[in-house]
Amino acid sequence: MIDVFTLDLLRNYLLAGAALFILGMLGFLSRRNLIVMFLSAEMMLQGTALTLVAFGRYHGNLTGQVFTIVILTVAACEASIALALIVILYNQRSSLDVTLWQDIREEGVPATPQMQEEAEAEPIEPVPGPESYPILTPAGIEPAHPVQPWLERRK
Amino acid sequence: MSGFFVQNVWMIPCLPLAGALIAAVGARRLRESSHVPVVAGIVLAFLVSLGALFSANPEATTVVARWLSISNLEVPIEFRVDGLTTMMLSMVTFVSSLVAIFAAGYMAGDPGYPRFFALIGLFVFSMTGLVLSNNYMLTYVFWEGVGVCSYLLIGYWHTRPAAAAAAMKAFLVNRIGDFGFAIAIFWLWAVVPGHDLSYGNILSESTLGALPEAARVGIPLLLFWAATAKSAQIPLYVWLPDAMEGPTPVSALIHAATMVTAGVYLIARSMPLIALAPGVQVLIAVTGCATALLSASIALTQNDLKRVMAYSTVSQLGYMFMALGAGVSDVAQLAVVAAMFHLFTHAFFKALLFLASGSVMHAMGDVIDMRRFGGLRHRLPFTHLTFAVGGLALAGIFPLAGFFSKDEILLALKSASHSAAGLGWGWVYALIYWVALLTAFMTAFYTARAYFMTFWGPEKLPSPDDPEAPRPEPGPGHGHGDALPHGAGQDENHGHDHGHDHVGQKSPPIMTFPLLILAGCAILAGILFGPTHLFEHHLHATLGFELLGHGEHGFDLATALISTIAGLLGIGLAYRFYASESPVPGQLATRFRPLYEASLNKFSVDEVYDWVVVKTTKALAVVCEFLDIYLVDQLVIGIAKLPRKLGKDLLAGYQNGLIQFYAAVSALGVAVLLFILLLF
Amino acid sequence: MSTGQVILATLVVLLGAGGSYLLLPHRHGATRSRNVHAAGAVLVSLGLLGFLTFWSPPSPFLAGLFFYLFSIGALVGGLLTVTSRNPIYSALWFASVVLSTAGLFLLAGAQFLAAGTVIVYAGAIIVTFLFVIMLAQMEGKALYDRAARAPASATFTCFLLFWCLLYILGPLHPQQAPETSEGHAQQFAEKSLVRGRNLADFYRLPENHPGRAVLAHSQRPTSALRDASGAEKPDVAGLGEALYSDHLVTVELAGTLLFVALIAAVAITGPKRPVRPGEPAGDAALKT
Repeated sequence: MIDVFTLDLLRNYLLAGAALFILGMLGFLSRRNLIVMFLSAEMMLQGTALTLVAFGRYHGNLTGQVFTIVILTVAACEASIALALIVILYNQRSSLDVTLWQDIREEGVPATPQMQEEAEAEPIEPVPGPESYPILTPAGIEPAHPVQPWLERRK
Repeated sequence: MSGFFVQNVWMIPCLPLAGALIAAVGARRLRESSHVPVVAGIVLAFLVSLGALFSANPEATTVVARWLSISNLEVPIEFRVDGLTTMMLSMVTFVSSLVAIFAAGYMAGDPGYPRFFALIGLFVFSMTGLVLSNNYMLTYVFWEGVGVCSYLLIGYWHTRPAAAAAAMKAFLVNRIGDFGFAIAIFWLWAVVPGHDLSYGNILSESTLGALPEAARVGIPLLLFWAATAKSAQIPLYVWLPDAMEGPTPVSALIHAATMVTAGVYLIARSMPLIALAPGVQVLIAVTGCATALLSASIALTQNDLKRVMAYSTVSQLGYMFMALGAGVSDVAQLAVVAAMFHLFTHAFFKALLFLASGSVMHAMGDVIDMRRFGGLRHRLPFTHLTFAVGGLALAGIFPLAGFFSKDEILLALKSASHSAAGLGWGWVYALIYWVALLTAFMTAFYTARAYFMTFWGPEKLPSPDDPEAPRPEPGPGHGHGDALPHGAGQDENHGHDHGHDHVGQKSPPIMTFPLLILAGCAILAGILFGPTHLFEHHLHATLGFELLGHGEHGFDLATALISTIAGLLGIGLAYRFYASESPVPGQLATRFRPLYEASLNKFSVDEVYDWVVVKTTKALAVVCEFLDIYLVDQLVIGIAKLPRKLGKDLLAGYQNGLIQFYAAVSALGVAVLLFILLLF
Repeated sequence: MSTGQVILATLVVLLGAGGSYLLLPHRHGATRSRNVHAAGAVLVSLGLLGFLTFWSPPSPFLAGLFFYLFSIGALVGGLLTVTSRNPIYSALWFASVVLSTAGLFLLAGAQFLAAGTVIVYAGAIIVTFLFVIMLAQMEGKALYDRAARAPASATFTCFLLFWCLLYILGPLHPQQAPETSEGHAQQFAEKSLVRGRNLADFYRLPENHPGRAVLAHSQRPTSALRDASGAEKPDVAGLGEALYSDHLVTVELAGTLLFVALIAAVAITGPKRPVRPGEPAGDAALKT
């Protein structure tokens, strides 16, 4: 079967690749965890690889794939070195927060605080609201209960 | 032979210049002999100019070098050797050499001895160059040169604030005139065919006939403005009395004989051009007359001998301008001849008077207030004799030089009053004629007054107990703090620290010898060159002289008699008042106190200038300073601070060290750029 | 680009941005209620739906289905990677992204690449990430995971860029897919082969233009998707042929790069000196 790779098919891939790239950039710019930042960077690379492969297919040659293989290689190297560096940074401050590392700032510019007061106070999980309160019987009314012998209650 | 002198006329300026350079460069070696190269240079220049004198030819020009050669402006260094030039040259070099010899004795012991002579040599170079130049532009250069030398020489004792201020005043006032000269040159360049500023091109019939209307009046007016500053006429004469702060030989040379005559020379040279505007000529005559009268009336009451001589110079220059201004219609040639003849004789007797005053000052230990000494005729015989000769010449007594020259001027004025009657100006010249006679009377009076106060009466030497002696000064000099000093009439010591050990000693021969020579000239110059018409014939060989109107003007006995009577009256009156201790002058001074005070304070002209000109300029300077500090400087400082503001205050806050922030900003930049590119 | 498409693009971008902002962690680490998360999810879904209208699926039904599946999987996985509070969840969602892109590679005919991506990324890189997370952040969720850095600005920047990309990519005109007759398809395939040349104006470039050399390189038969007879080469074989004939130096360099990276990684983390018998095994011997 001769499949034809038309321009609009190319466009699909390009759009998908662009979207991945954008999402990756979003993650890189907004998350504070070093690992998640790096994952987002890798996602950006995925987007570009997708674009490359699509173009290669569109032009009818394998150069796109070759380039993507090289990118893969580079990504792997980059990951290894990045992780090594992250390990080192973690060893220094026992935290994966990127806000700890701001010593290259200009003199006289105050340091961005790591934690905010209200963030400390917040619980990690969302506290269930009134919807999770147990429903109590109104006082003075005998609750409906099947009388169970005490032996079975234990189960 | 004449060709040789014309070809090598450049030697005349260059010999004194060479002497000046040797004196300047070899100052350390030569020291007390620094006068030798300069005097030698000037004397040699005089000999060459004598040779040129006999080779004068209205068409004789020689190009020495190429100077300016731009597209529309061609100014070679070209010298013209005609009658007017050679006459001026010989006079200038002669008087300069005598003054230089005098100065060798007068300035002996002064620490800046080599500098003085170098400047004298430089001055003679400039003056001879000015007179030789064949091009208005070149004349301007030398005009400035003499101005600079005058500044340097007046301020020779530059550590004295009065001298420094006087030098600046002279230079600045001259500058005002130079401005007029510059504008005249620009205008000439614009209207003259071929943009050629040489005398030969401008002072020719074709060029003069083709000048536009405005230029015919404007250029003579501007040239006269320049001459006003240089030759000390109203309103720019105020620098000359203050120039007496310089050494006496400087006063004799520059402010009597040579530099101040440059203005007269310029007008005489440009006479064909100025004769195109009779109105300007009337103005010249009126200005000269007013100046003569004003300065004579100031000189009546001055107590400083040199000041008297300075005002006398101003007055005599006024005479020369009166003569030049009388050159209407057919009197033109006579007017030029009269003015130049007076210039010629005035150089001799005024230089003589100044040098004699210097001799007196030297003997009196730098005291020049006439009230502090008297009866010096036995103590200083040569000085006394020569001063008397000079004074008589100045007063215009037959047969000394001043008589003939003054007489010619009066004759010119009288002829002009007849000739200009057709133009309606006759009465002006007649009035000027009578005022000139009055001024002659006043001239004789103040000259004789000076003579009698100094040399007559009981002998008195200056002592510290004199009421006019200066009190010990608390601070530096007369420090007014203003740029232009008022230069009070009562000036005390013009001291250079000469030492007072030779008070009362008469002058050495090196100083009396020039005095005698000058006295001889003052006696003979008039009678030898005047009635014999030698001077007039020599001046006929001047460029453009034939363009001037001429007529028959014979010797007028009436004028001669009246002027002689005026002179004798003046001398006689002064004898009555001052030869003996007469109380009359004091009584007259008290009776006419306001007039006396006005005359003594030089009619407060300096004060008026101070208020009108100096204070206005200072206010303007304050405004400019304010603008400079608060506008320009702030702008510059603002620009200088801009990078720091941009960097530190604006952008440094963005460097917070968070790489996510940096990445976000880059991404934002890319996004915005792309957005703009796509949409716009 | 027509006005309708521009408006649609703007709408998609706005929805996506709004949803992402709501889904991202709060900038100070405050807890977001469930409702907010739900609203964010709804917005993002709507945006995604709008985005889907830009796509034109390939005509064979299965291909189209799988294409949609993999693409949506990639995008949803990507969003969840970015917005998860727990870094381990992020890593796992990233694995799903990788698998989806591998699927997309498959659909584009790059089988080797699909396999390679799965092996290298999902198999090696993500595993390594997980190890590091386990080592470094045993509590799972830390405060800095709950807080984002300037989510508003980041969202704005990214989606502005996305809008620009949409603006560029939108008006690429879809071509008419030819009839499925062999002849036309063959011709079209031929045309697709030469498309690269035409697109790059290859023959019109001057002789000494550097781009011509590069393009000539990429048009070599060893790089082509089809061999001389017009039959499609098997992907791995073709890739191997292209790699080892046209891009030999690249391969070698890539290998060298990997080697260097290996050494670098080891050197950075600083190995401990081996303790020989008899030596004191103290921290003094450590080279940190």
